[in-house]
Amino acid sequence: MKGYGGRILRVNLSDGKISKEEISDEMRRKFLGGRGFAAKILWDEVGGVDPLSEDNKIVFSTGPLTGLPLPSSGKMVIASKSPLTGGYGDGNIGSMAAVHLRRAGYDVMIVEGRSETPCYIAIQDEEVKILGAREIWGRTTFESQDRLEANHGKPIGVLVIGPAGEKMARFANVISQRGRAGGRPGMGAVMGSKNLKAVVVKGTGKIPVFNEKKLREMGRKGYGEIKGKENYDFWIRQGTMQVFEWCNENSCLPTLNFREGTFQFSKRLDGYALEGAKVDRKGCPLCNMQCGNIIKDAENRNVEMDYENVGMLGPNIGMDDLRKVGVLNRMADEYGLDTISLGSCLGFLMEASERGLIYERIAWGDLDACKKVIEDTGKRRGLGETIYEGVRMASQRVGGNSRDWAMHVKGLEVSAYNCHACPGMALSFGTSPIGAHHKDAWVISWEISTDRFSYSKEKVEKVVELQRLRGGLFESLTTCRLPWIEVDFGLHWYPKYLEAAMGEEISQGELFELGDRIYALIRSYWIRENRSWNREMDYPPSRWFEEPLSKGDLKGYKLDRARYDEMLSRYYEIRGWDENGIPKRETLEVLGLGDVVGGLGKHG
Amino acid sequence: MAEFRFLGYLAEIFGEKRVEISLENPKKLRDILKVEFPEDRSIVLINQRAGNFDSIIRNGDKVVIMSMISGG
Repeated sequence: MKGYGGRILRVNLSDGKISKEEISDEMRRKFLGGRGFAAKILWDEVGGVDPLSEDNKIVFSTGPLTGLPLPSSGKMVIASKSPLTGGYGDGNIGSMAAVHLRRAGYDVMIVEGRSETPCYIAIQDEEVKILGAREIWGRTTFESQDRLEANHGKPIGVLVIGPAGEKMARFANVISQRGRAGGRPGMGAVMGSKNLKAVVVKGTGKIPVFNEKKLREMGRKGYGEIKGKENYDFWIRQGTMQVFEWCNENSCLPTLNFREGTFQFSKRLDGYALEGAKVDRKGCPLCNMQCGNIIKDAENRNVEMDYENVGMLGPNIGMDDLRKVGVLNRMADEYGLDTISLGSCLGFLMEASERGLIYERIAWGDLDACKKVIEDTGKRRGLGETIYEGVRMASQRVGGNSRDWAMHVKGLEVSAYNCHACPGMALSFGTSPIGAHHKDAWVISWEISTDRFSYSKEKVEKVVELQRLRGGLFESLTTCRLPWIEVDFGLHWYPKYLEAAMGEEISQGELFELGDRIYALIRSYWIRENRSWNREMDYPPSRWFEEPLSKGDLKGYKLDRARYDEMLSRYYEIRGWDENGIPKRETLEVLGLGDVVGGLGKHG
Repeated sequence: MAEFRFLGYLAEIFGEKRVEISLENPKKLRDILKVEFPEDRSIVLINQRAGNFDSIIRNGDKVVIMSMISGG
């Protein structure tokens, strides 16, 4: 089958064994690539293990469109059993490493075992080495990238962890190209647990495709269509930061640990403030709608900003200066900490301090205190020790009623959208396959354009539809969803791209079924790895049910728990899962996952 | 007076971020604004409730027109 290198590279850090395996046609047909491959590999190979033990594995996975001359195709998925959530964890990252891995002839790399000493993996086409990482261990992600580029020469792709990953902070992520980040649910901690500092990859071959001429021609048209979109220029100016003003207007902005949905100083932080501070922009490989806006931070260093970072490290912690937000954003990238989880942890600490639940004083918007927490998280000491396992565990340490305002689902911190008055988005967070992240389904626009206050069946159906496309299709292609969702690039292009790459026609129905199969498999993984699974794991944080907004146009609004529960039941019904959110035997069989039934034990 | 606000690139299509207009009689939104918006990519909120470009606007109404963003 064209479109693939057709091989998995497997590196065992315990015994140094390196092997190359064929990917079966059945695997390609049933799981396509990216997240689909990762979920299948983790289901088959990683069960019942401690996520930070040498028995866990980390999967770097691309899809049949990755690295091809098509819009925003420079992406890969990094997946593992998550040390933050205990379930399936993944994140996608834009990186030259994705492109080079494919050019080196591999669709997937699996890293297993644990090195006795710090190491990194260096791949150059067929040659794969495990090298000592003593000279970069302890260094920031930026310093490490520079050092690796100096050692190996450009062009290369680099994936690297920072000091936080080395210390196994459970929301440590993976960084590439000094600011591209991925792997929120602790993928950096898994690398750290294996003493794996980095992956360096250089590929010089060609990615085999079925009809290269047609693919290039359609890719060229696709790039042209994107540039011709009427909101393209505005996108280039503000990127995802245009969301800031929008969310403030609609009471969705994460403010003061998600207490509120509007921030009185929003104009100091919004997309227009960004435009005034912007000095450059950057993006992922093969993208012509780069989303990384560069500003000079308050310490006069370059930093790449986007909405999630500014939402979580701005209003959510009461920080009202974009350049100060930039300092925290840049430090998070250097230390290799996920900015969303960091913003949630800082907001949590500030609220705990305000309520007198911790001895340390950390006031809303205190830049120096936040900097110290980041440093301490990288060294696992002081308040860093309180939060290094995320807000779920922090609330167990802090006690009181902090469980009610620890803003997470399944252990993954909520990304930058307040849902006091967005039941559909709350369901999206509740049912996301990695915990409270927005990438699988962002439904707020749709629900506001129809009836934001409803808990309708149509809203549930919309969440499922978006999950199929965003979480199923795009995560497995693997390309970026932003051309489609942000500038309305035609969805019809993707089956055509697949056909040109693979030489096989795949219908929309088959692509939707692919999404459903991946969702059912990931859900099964959660259940197998969490024997105490129950439907409450699909609930959003209590704060949104119990404490209404006290400010803004939607003052007084909060979610209704009983009606949320009705939506959740409808969601399970559409997915063919039972009342506890467990895929039914017949659902698994219809999706070609009959072999999974036995793995669910008493739940199957 | 009715208040009209525009977010993001729709403000650039209209040319202002905010205007107040006095309406002698209730009118359809599209007849008041007389500017072509990308309607299938726009959200109209009238007093916090979903509307559309054919909704009738009266003095005292607060109208917000924003794009169907997708949240990254």
